Amino acid sequence: MDSQSTATATATAMQDRFGCCFRNWMAQQHRDLDELLRAVSTDSGDAEKLKCLAGKNIQHFRDYLEARSQLAQHDAPSFFCPSWRTSFENSFLWIGGCRPTMAIRLVYSISGSDLEARLAGGGTGGDDNSNSSSINLGEVSASQLRSINELHIKTVRMEEKLSSRMASMQEEIADDPLALIAKWSGRAGEESESVERVMKGHELSLARVLTEADELRLETLRELVEGILTPLQAVELLVEMTKLHLSIHEWGKRRDSVLGKV
Amino acid sequence: MAEICCGVVSETEANPACKPTSRAARRRRMEIRRFKFVNGGGGGETASGRKRRKLLGASESSFSDEEKRVGGLGDGRLERKAASVSDDSLSLIRVTMMTTALSRTQSSPAALELPNEYPKFGVSSVCGRRREMEDMVAVHPSFSRRRGEPTTELHYFGVYDGHGCSHVAVRCRERMHELIKEELAVVNAEEGSAPTDWRAAMERSFRKMDKEAIAWNEGVAAVHKRCRCELQSPECEAVGSTAVVAIVSPDKIIVANCGDSRAVLSRKGKAIPLSSDHKPDRPDELNRIQEAGGRVIYWDGPRVLGVLAMSRAIGDNYLKPYVSCDPEVTVVERTADDDCLILASDGLWDVVSNDTACRVARMCLSGRIHAPPRKNGAAEPAPAGMGVGERSDGPCSDASLLLTKLALARHSTDNVSVVVVDLRRSC
Repeated sequence: MDSQSTATATATAMQDRFGCCFRNWMAQQHRDLDELLRAVSTDSGDAEKLKCLAGKNIQHFRDYLEARSQLAQHDAPSFFCPSWRTSFENSFLWIGGCRPTMAIRLVYSISGSDLEARLAGGGTGGDDNSNSSSINLGEVSASQLRSINELHIKTVRMEEKLSSRMASMQEEIADDPLALIAKWSGRAGEESESVERVMKGHELSLARVLTEADELRLETLRELVEGILTPLQAVELLVEMTKLHLSIHEWGKRRDSVLGKV
Repeated sequence: MAEICCGVVSETEANPACKPTSRAARRRRMEIRRFKFVNGGGGGETASGRKRRKLLGASESSFSDEEKRVGGLGDGRLERKAASVSDDSLSLIRVTMMTTALSRTQSSPAALELPNEYPKFGVSSVCGRRREMEDMVAVHPSFSRRRGEPTTELHYFGVYDGHGCSHVAVRCRERMHELIKEELAVVNAEEGSAPTDWRAAMERSFRKMDKEAIAWNEGVAAVHKRCRCELQSPECEAVGSTAVVAIVSPDKIIVANCGDSRAVLSRKGKAIPLSSDHKPDRPDELNRIQEAGGRVIYWDGPRVLGVLAMSRAIGDNYLKPYVSCDPEVTVVERTADDDCLILASDGLWDVVSNDTACRVARMCLSGRIHAPPRKNGAAEPAPAGMGVGERSDGPCSDASLLLTKLALARHSTDNVSVVVVDLRRSC
C-alpha cells in the first residue's frame, strides 16, 4: 500500500512536471509574440535584428522540445494525449504535436492575402516596392516558392515515414507479446513482470518516434525561417504561428469549459 | 468553368467510338472499387480538388522514384542544344536570348521574319495544398521543325495533371513531346511541305502516348516496387493524366487537349480559351460516354462511372472507352494582338477565371506589376539548382509565379502548375 501511494505521488509529480513544461512553453510563446510584434512594428527594416529574433524563437522551440524529449523518456504515452492540452488540441495532434507541414500550409494560407488587393488595383506601379514598408509573405519570390515546394514535398515524405512507423507500432499491440499474454492470462488485466517489460518497450518506441517527429517539426520550421524566408517574412510567419498556437489553446479551453470539462 | 467558349475550337471532333470490351467484367470491377471508396476512407484525403475518389485506402509508406525526382531539386534547366527544359517541381524560367540577332519589324505579318526566335516563357509548379505532387510540366523550345518555306522552329509546352498516382503524368512529361516529334518527322517525310494535318498528327501521338502509359502501367508492378499505387497493384490501371499541349510556331499555335487542364490565349487583353475542358457533364461528352455504354454518376460532381471527374485522359485503362484519350485540337493563327498563352492545371482554373488569369499575365508582361525581386535587401540565399538562363525577374516568370500565388491565396486545394508563354512580337 505504501509503495503504491509513493508511486501515485511520483506519477502526480511527473504529470506536474509535464504540465509545467508545457505551461512554461506557452508563457514563453506569449513573451515571444509580444517581442515579435514589437519588432514587426518598429524594426521591420532591421534585417539583422529580425534575424536574431527569429533565431531566438527557433532556439526557444528547440529548448522546449529538448525538455520534453527528456521527460518523454519517463512517460512517452502522456505526450500523445496530454492532459495539459485541451481535447480540441489533442484530437488534432500528430505524434504529440502539430504536423511539420503545417508551417508550410500556414505560409500558403497567409501569403498572398494582399495579392487580390494589388491585382484589383491594376498593379500598383513603382519599380521598387517602396510603396509598402514591409515585404510580407505575399512577396514570396519565385526561388523562395520553389524552395518551399521542395521542402514541402520532402517534409510530406518524412511525415509519411513516421506515420507509417506509428501505424506499425499501433498494430503491434495486437501482436506477439501483448496479445498472447492477454490470451493466456487467467483474467483480463492480470499483472506480470513481462507485461510491464513489454509495455516499457512500447513506451520507449513511442519516445523515439516522438523525438523524431519533434526533430522534423523543428527542422521544417528552421529551414523555412532561417533558410528560405527573409528575416521579416520569417518573423511574420513566427507571429502567425505563435498566434495560431496560443489561440487554438485558448479556444480549446473555452470549448472544454462550456462542455463542463474544466 | 462557364466562360469556356466552344466556338473557338476550330478543329475538333468527337472521338470515333471505341468498341466496348467485356463491359460486364469491367462493371463488376467498378462495383468492387466503389465499395472500396466507402470503406477506404482511412486515407483521409478530403481535398475537394481530388480528381478521383480515394482509391488507395492503405497508408503509403513510400514514394515512387518519380516522386523522389519530383521532390528533388526542381532545376529548370535550359540546354540550348538539347533545347529542353524539363521542370521537375517548381521552376521559373525565362529564356531571353536569341532575340538580339534578329531585328524585328513589328508590322511584318508575323513569323517568317523571326524563324529562330526562342519564346520567352515562365513556369511555376507547386504541390500546394495537396500531399502528393501529380502535376508535371514539360517545356521544350525548338523541339521540332516543320519543313516548309522556310523551315520553322516549333516550341513545345505541356502540362500534365496526374490522378491516382503521378506516374502517367511523369510518362507524359518524358514521352509526349518525343512522340509528337516522331509523328511530325513522319508527316514531314510523307507530306513534304504540304500543310500539316495537326489534328490527325496530335490524335495519333496522344493514342501512342496512351498505349505507352497503359503498357507502362501494366509493367509497373514488376518494375517499380516502390510506387505507392503498387501497394494495390490492380489499381495501377486506375492511374491517368490530363494532357494539354501547345505547340507554338512563328505563325500558329496548336493546342491539343485531353482532360481538364486548359490553354488560354490572351489576345488584346481578351481571354480566348484554346481548349474546352473534358468534363463528364459537357453535353457532347455525356453523349459520347453514354453512346459507348458508360454512365456519368454524380458523386462529388459528375464522374465517369462515378469515379473520374473528367471525360478524357491518358491512361485510365479500366475506364476505356468511356474515358477517351483523343485530344481536341485547336489551331489558331498568331496575330500581332496576341499577348501570351497560359497553360495550367485545374489547380489554377478552379479558382481563377480565364479573364482574371489573362489580366494578371498582361499586367506582368506590361511591367505594371512585379513579382518580388530575388534580392530584397536582406540576404536571401540563392537556392541550389538555379539553372543558367533562369531569371526570376522575367515578366513571364512573374506571371506564372503570380498566378500560382493567386491560386494558393484563393485556397486552391490542388497542385498548381502554370506555364506562361510570351507571344508579343515587340518585346
